[in-house]
Amino acid sequence: MNFALTEDQEMLRDEIVHFARQELNKDIIERDRNQQFPRDLWLKCGEMGLQGLPVPEEYGGAGLDALSTAIAIEALGYGCEDGGLSFSICAHLLACVIPIMNHGTEEQKRKYLPKLCSGELIAVNAMSEPGTGSDAFNMKTRAIKEEGGYRVNGTKIWSTNGPVADIALLYAVTDPGKGISGSTSAFIVEKETPGFSPGQKFEKMGLRTSPIGEMVFEDMLVPESALLGGEGAGFVLFNQSMEWERVCIGAKHCGTMRRLMEKSVSYSKERESFGQPISKYEAVSNKIADMKMRLEGARLLTYQGATRLDKARDVAIDASMTKIFVSEALVQTALDTVQIYGGNGFTTDYEVERTLRDSIGGKIYSGTNEIQKKILGNWLGL
Amino acid sequence: MNIAVCIKQTPDTTTRIQVADGGGEIVDDGIQWIISPYDEFAIEEALKLTEANGGEVTIVSMGPARVEKTIREALAMGAQKAIRIDCESIPNDPGVTAKVLAEVLRGRGFDLIFTGRQAIDGDQAQVPGRLAHLLDWACVSVVIDLAIDGDKGTALREVEGGSERVHFTMPAVIGANRHLNEPRYRNMRGIMKAKRIPIEVVQVDAPAPQLEITSYSYPPQKGERKLFENGASDVAEVVRLLREEAQVI
Ligand SMILES: Cc1cc2nc3c(=O)[nH]c(=O)nc-3n(C[C@H](O)[C@H](O)[C@H](O)COP(=O)(O)OP(=O)(O)OC[C@H]3O[C@@H](n4cnc5c(N)ncnc54)[C@H](O)[C@@H]3O)c2cc1C
Repeated sequence: MNFALTEDQEMLRDEIVHFARQELNKDIIERDRNQQFPRDLWLKCGEMGLQGLPVPEEYGGAGLDALSTAIAIEALGYGCEDGGLSFSICAHLLACVIPIMNHGTEEQKRKYLPKLCSGELIAVNAMSEPGTGSDAFNMKTRAIKEEGGYRVNGTKIWSTNGPVADIALLYAVTDPGKGISGSTSAFIVEKETPGFSPGQKFEKMGLRTSPIGEMVFEDMLVPESALLGGEGAGFVLFNQSMEWERVCIGAKHCGTMRRLMEKSVSYSKERESFGQPISKYEAVSNKIADMKMRLEGARLLTYQGATRLDKARDVAIDASMTKIFVSEALVQTALDTVQIYGGNGFTTDYEVERTLRDSIGGKIYSGTNEIQKKILGNWLGL
Repeated sequence: MNIAVCIKQTPDTTTRIQVADGGGEIVDDGIQWIISPYDEFAIEEALKLTEANGGEVTIVSMGPARVEKTIREALAMGAQKAIRIDCESIPNDPGVTAKVLAEVLRGRGFDLIFTGRQAIDGDQAQVPGRLAHLLDWACVSVVIDLAIDGDKGTALREVEGGSERVHFTMPAVIGANRHLNEPRYRNMRGIMKAKRIPIEVVQVDAPAPQLEITSYSYPPQKGERKLFENGASDVAEVVRLLREEAQVI
């Protein structure tokens, strides 16, 4: 077992941190307040290759293995203080680009991947519905086969990037008789398709620069060529994409935790009370020591999960453990950072309250932590 | 257009340099190595020229195996080839560097050779001039703007108090200054591509140095701060101290 990064992993990490600090961190307070998605920065990230990290070079990506992809996303989480932007990139890459990369036909890959990698196209993963989140495969959206393709009706909710997306990876039931593992199919839907309309946009407590909304499909006809991975492949495809999200958004959280820990270290050494730096009080330094332990534990789980994304057939358990541990570690670290900053931490200008707000969603999206525990329990035979 | 860019591996600008006991050398341990920052402008300019006119960029660096990491960082910006001139340590005498570079680069068909205006560790600023002299090429250094048209070039140089425009004929050695361009980020594709480019390792018998660094020392400690708290009424005293004590005006 070798825990050292390779030279190119170090290079890509350092370069992403440098890029993110130089290019992505201006005016975030304003963007967050106005819920503004920074399309210009999205394109700069595309030039850096962030939206196509693991995609083979021939389709416009960088061809990284899964561990290097996680290391790159961790660097983004560390360098980029706009948690919404990095979240939008993760949703696009992990839940849309990767499924197309893994299951697309040659034609689909040639048509979509280069533009998805460059940032020219933005993708949204449309799964959850108003009545079905945790039990997503009980969805109401139907795709009924007919002459010329599939006729789709349904409404999706909580679709990250929905309001700005050019293509959707849409999940719909094609054969309700087949049971959960075969009833659902995935479709690549272009936004110009008649019958598709973006619905309401939602305001939310965190990740406010990442737009989220409804997607409405009314009598929409999609051609058979839009089917991704064949009819009935939705279950496998979606679960794989969630495994990538659970591990690699964990990597982003590791980067964010490192940033919060470093901020806590420097703030606590400068801020004085009763004539000495607050870092001298164990009540404060213990919080930061815990941050360090949580970060290192979280990173080990993340790297282990990432290594298995490439090599193992089933990483569900690793992904669920990583998801729970890392998202909870992040929320605790963000909470403690605000506490260490005291009154300053509660104000917007110090930019730690925003990270706390951003962190909460991590316990909900990609499958709630309760559902991840249920997966673990089932696996343990409970 | 065939361009070589000579780069030097130097300590990161934020590294705290430690002088070994006795003052004779600098401690290598714990140093973060980077491309000397002026060399990044050189690489960027070479890439822009070949992107516009076709051709190839070859990165050249002299040093032990350690410098290959720095060479890869340069390749990741988009250069196509690389040469490492093997030596035990990077020479302190810029004369040695220039002679070795001239020997390796002569006859390889380069139209232009870029360097930084100087390396940020030695601050000698001798290599571009000496290298051009040995090759009998034109040399323009401290360049902040450059245009090439066929076998002619025009460069803007920064000089004391302003700038100076020069015409030159190719081949030429160009010493890049800050503001020549905005060096690009290494994107992910570039980093992965750089990994696969073979680095040609060249062995050369380096000539004997003609100068030797005998000792290093730290800059003098900054003196005590002096605070003036009475606003405008202190001005006369500040001027007196600046003149008589600090002797800066
Ligand atoms: C920031 C953000 C971004 C999102 N982006 C997307 C996206 O891009 N695409 C998309 O399709 N969806 C997206 N979602 C939706 C997300 O996947 C769902 O919110 C999530 O799966 C939970 O579903 P729900 O909201 O319906 O909660 P519910 O299923 O209603 O759950 C409510 C509560 O009950 C608990 N619960 C439910 N069932 C069980 C059970 N069996 N055992 C124990 N506890 C249970 C849950 O853990 C939760 O605490 C996003 C959500 C957020 C917050």
